Amino acid sequence: MDISDHNRNAIFERLLRPYLERLYRLAYRLTGSKAEAEDLFQDVLVKLFGKLEDLAAIEEPGSWTSRVMFHHFIDNRRRFARQRLLSVDESQLPQKSIESLPGVDDPEQDAERLDDIIRLGKALAELSDDHRLVVLLHDTEGYKLTEIQAITGDPVGTLKSRLHRARARLRALLSAGATF
Amino acid sequence: MMLCKQLNEKLDDYMDGTLDETEMAVLQSHAESCESCQQTLKSAQRLRKLLQDCPVPMPDAAYFDRALAQATRVSTSHQRNRWIMTGFGGALAAGLIAWIIGGVLLKTPDLPDSDASIPGVVIALEVPYTVNLVFSSATELDGAVLTVSLPPGVEIEGFAGQREITWITSLKAGKNILPLTLIATTAHGGELLARLEHDNRDRTFRIRVTVT
Repeated sequence: MDISDHNRNAIFERLLRPYLERLYRLAYRLTGSKAEAEDLFQDVLVKLFGKLEDLAAIEEPGSWTSRVMFHHFIDNRRRFARQRLLSVDESQLPQKSIESLPGVDDPEQDAERLDDIIRLGKALAELSDDHRLVVLLHDTEGYKLTEIQAITGDPVGTLKSRLHRARARLRALLSAGATF
Repeated sequence: MMLCKQLNEKLDDYMDGTLDETEMAVLQSHAESCESCQQTLKSAQRLRKLLQDCPVPMPDAAYFDRALAQATRVSTSHQRNRWIMTGFGGALAAGLIAWIIGGVLLKTPDLPDSDASIPGVVIALEVPYTVNLVFSSATELDGAVLTVSLPPGVEIEGFAGQREITWITSLKAGKNILPLTLIATTAHGGELLARLEHDNRDRTFRIRVTVT
């Protein structure tokens, strides 16, 4: 790809745009708050623009850009101080989030579901960072373990046992709340 | 009870369908007749469903456009202005310097400091005015984070509507210049803050902006 000063912006946008949503979601899963996610996302975009030649040469930009974001987050973890992983306050939930959940159209079920989401957020906050990340990427975002390995560099076996422990811990935390 | 324990231990594999056929059939058959295991499976399925539905408050499409545009602007501007290890003569020749904060080194600094007194700049409404921030650093600082916070009604050219802008940058040992072109959109003025962070330390520079 012929990259020159006058076409850098256009090439950057064309290469990166298909991965923006995935990157933003990863930023949110890593930081746990909209403000921090936006900071991390913007930082990484600036960083990626500086690596445009690498971006253009890479075979799997999705994994590579996610890896850049993960390592930037780890390197700057103190700056991206985790406030919460999930919104545990109703006012923090995105508008219409409950309505957008599939199969829910009953007010009582909505309330119950919101309660479940809040409890899940609290339970997730009890997990270690590693456990929380693997369960959110795998079970929530639908990443395969090999894709998580490509981002974090941890072996698949390690990730699998971490995932099982994270789920077991979540089940234990939630069942301690009786009715779950 | 034995099968209950087995199902609990292999719950994830059972739900993922990764058990071998024989074991799967045995546990399925058991689960159909065991109320306790049915409850366990129901809870586990509910947890999975909830995890799948965990919301991410996504920004609108325009946000991504802005983020892309800002990334290229910041990087380009950054490359162009890259904390030029000065340079005063060159900058003057280019007509850039309207005002300079003199950098003063601390005795044991990793980060540069400015004069204790708050310097000021007077700018006219709606007229672009380039201010050069000069940072003196005793050592090279890689991966420093600079955040510029603007008073109400003052913008940096190219960043309309943004009150806070962050760069990731590196400082060379010696003097480093960052030109910022300010535009006042209202007559309020106020204090501009430039916060420099590196290795868990930070220093804040204050600049009084008066609009006439």
